[in-house]
Amino acid sequence: MVTAYVMVKAHTGDADRLKREIGAIDGVVDAHIVAGDVDLIATVSVDTPAAVKDVAATHVQDIEGVESTQTYIAMD
Amino acid sequence: MLYVIVGAGRVGLRTARVLRESGHDVTLIERDESAIERARAAGFDVIAGDGALEETLESANLAEADALGALTGDLNNNFVACMIAKEHGCRTVMRIDEDYREEIYRRYASDVDEVIYPERLGAIAAKNALLGGNIRAIADIAQHLQLVEFTITDSAPIKGYSLSELELPANTRLLAHGKGDAPLDIPDPDETLDAGDHLVILADFDTLSDVRSIVVGESGPTKALGGV
Repeated sequence: MVTAYVMVKAHTGDADRLKREIGAIDGVVDAHIVAGDVDLIATVSVDTPAAVKDVAATHVQDIEGVESTQTYIAMD
Repeated sequence: MLYVIVGAGRVGLRTARVLRESGHDVTLIERDESAIERARAAGFDVIAGDGALEETLESANLAEADALGALTGDLNNNFVACMIAKEHGCRTVMRIDEDYREEIYRRYASDVDEVIYPERLGAIAAKNALLGGNIRAIADIAQHLQLVEFTITDSAPIKGYSLSELELPANTRLLAHGKGDAPLDIPDPDETLDAGDHLVILADFDTLSDVRSIVVGESGPTKALGGV
């Protein structure tokens, strides 16, 4: 299994909807609204590194109101 | 009243100035050496250090402070400063860096009492300047409610009438009247409205255009008067 953390920067104040839609993506374990330079952090747990890219680059970035994402893959 | 302000940059230092002008005590917290010197030269108490650290904030006498303004350009530091201050019982005001975040912080950041987006306030001032002299938007009280100051002109339809004769549209209240350059005061129904007088009116957004044609006499779109 591969675990990754996806930092999501929004350009909308509609954080509830973003959290809901991100949380509904296959492979996303949980998503939290956070204070700071990014607006949400999602935890992703999938089978392969390629699937991480699929979740972050394809599904999360497709959501209306998502400005950008930054993904960190856990190494331990 | 004692206020602690984190960040002595262009927002923090100005806020400290206006608080001092109103007779309040202000302690600034700043980590940048040149900003510290500038604030000290302006006569302020400045604690040198990182305002996102508990030990720095504790030396600012948070127990005595009435409120803390986290006004740096760094969102993370501002939020942490508010969390620590809340722990010490302060009211907290946080500066944010992008307008969409206002809603997020109002809703989710329970340690933050008020959210400030300086660029929005700057935009209101710029809009007032662009619109010209007769109308000044003071604040958006609610989504559909705006506080506006009007200056009566020579061509204003209400010029020469008394305040008791002034008939404003529904959902509109006259809150204050100022004669010429005199300070604003509670409206006196017997006063006459002359050119140069100021009226502060609370109006529903939908009636602003009507208020404007009654008070100032101009027609045309008032869209630009709305929120930013």
